Amino acid sequence: MSERVAQALHVESVDVRLGTQLILRELSFSVDAHSTMAVIGPSGCGKTTLLRAVAGLIAVERGRIRLGLQPVGVAAAGGHRIVYLNQEALLFPHLDVFENLAFGLRVRHVAEREIRRRVALLIAQLELSGLELRAPHSLSGGQRQRVAFGRALAADPALLLLDEPFSNLDPDTRASMQELFKQLAALHGITALFVTHDLKESIRIGQRFALIRDGRLTTYADLEQFCADPSSGVEREAEFWRAFSRRSD
Amino acid sequence: MIQRMMAWMLAACLVLPLLVLLLMSLARHWSWPALLPDGIEGRQWVALVADRTGLGVIVLRSAGMGLGVAALATVLGFVTSRSVARHRRRGALMTLLHVPFAVSPVVVGVSLLYLFLRLDLAGHVAGVMLAQLIFAYAYAAILLSGFWTARVQSLADVAITLGADPPQVWRRVLAPMARPLLGVCLFQTFLISWFDYPITLLIGESRVATLTVALYQYFSSGDTRLAATCGLVLLAPPLFVLAIQRRLLAASIATPWEAAGE
Repeated sequence: MSERVAQALHVESVDVRLGTQLILRELSFSVDAHSTMAVIGPSGCGKTTLLRAVAGLIAVERGRIRLGLQPVGVAAAGGHRIVYLNQEALLFPHLDVFENLAFGLRVRHVAEREIRRRVALLIAQLELSGLELRAPHSLSGGQRQRVAFGRALAADPALLLLDEPFSNLDPDTRASMQELFKQLAALHGITALFVTHDLKESIRIGQRFALIRDGRLTTYADLEQFCADPSSGVEREAEFWRAFSRRSD
Repeated sequence: MIQRMMAWMLAACLVLPLLVLLLMSLARHWSWPALLPDGIEGRQWVALVADRTGLGVIVLRSAGMGLGVAALATVLGFVTSRSVARHRRRGALMTLLHVPFAVSPVVVGVSLLYLFLRLDLAGHVAGVMLAQLIFAYAYAAILLSGFWTARVQSLADVAITLGADPPQVWRRVLAPMARPLLGVCLFQTFLISWFDYPITLLIGESRVATLTVALYQYFSSGDTRLAATCGLVLLAPPLFVLAIQRRLLAASIATPWEAAGE
């Protein structure tokens, strides 16, 4: 599909302040190329701030962020192919589905024929056939998120940042979007940081895991380590379903 | 029934003055206490079309000045409104933008006249346009400040992460989204210049003849027919644009994405 070079993300001793408040402190972690790290944490813990800092949309007070060997910063935001996917689809309302998907290619002055080829491929992969000329406001929530996802993929991201992108969807649509993400992430070899407050979603999506609490981030090498930590909430969730199951019996 | 009567009364209040002006411009002779003129002739309109009154040049000058002020004010106001919306002291800056409207235009005109005399701008079209721009620019910045919502900023951020540089963000995202509101702003700032009288008279030193200045001169000289003709010409472009602007207003008030709750 593209000639994207695999990039690993390195976050080293980063502090992020918003106004007078230190939101994130001494964050250090890495995301391997072609893998997805699921970051979980309660609302207001700084997950969105983390993604905006990695995207270069806000400045870090201390530390540094690298994508491969290249430093990431506010001045170069947009130059590193770090694409940010919000929980709202945030489609451009004045562009139809095709043009939304093509946006990242047009701003990079990709040839028209290549744009048509790549967008057509994405439309097929995302099951958006027949919707090319539709305006965003006429799409369902799930369709909008698929277009937003496709728009991000079309831009050939070195790193994809997903900020609870499926949280506004109904459970069935959410599950199908999670599955679609996993398939396309594998197909396109995407490196991704996936933020969510939903434990099950993090387990479905992630290959590695991290937990944000009180402004600090704890990483786990694998699912087993993540589940074993009481503060992850996995054991609590499992106990709930065991108790529910006993009551039902 | 009552609502229909009220609607007709409102329409009458709006239409009747225009009808009176039209009759005045066409009247051969109309003196008090006659309700209608003695006869109708199109002499004034023929003279206008043949430009024997010099009104044609005045109309073109007013239109040119209005379009120039509107274009500059809208562009500058759009850029300024974004900076104001993102500034820490947004409230103070918005208050500052309202200052030209808190003071009488005559006071502003007199205050500017001394400076413009020193700069050799008084008595020139450029000077009048610059003075009108002060009001139009402030108005544009205030009007367009409502465009810069958190959602618009988020869309701009998305464009940046997709690889757009700042000019592309303006050209491909912000300007197209703001098009309906920019259209309204262009129209409103055009009217500020088109209908201006005190600033034009003071800064223009009666040497810059615009439609409003000419209208007053015709009334002062007692030529009510020419004054009525001039008045109708003054009203014609805004009435025409108003009919088109209704569509723009509807688009800016209820854009599809807002209606869909996106």
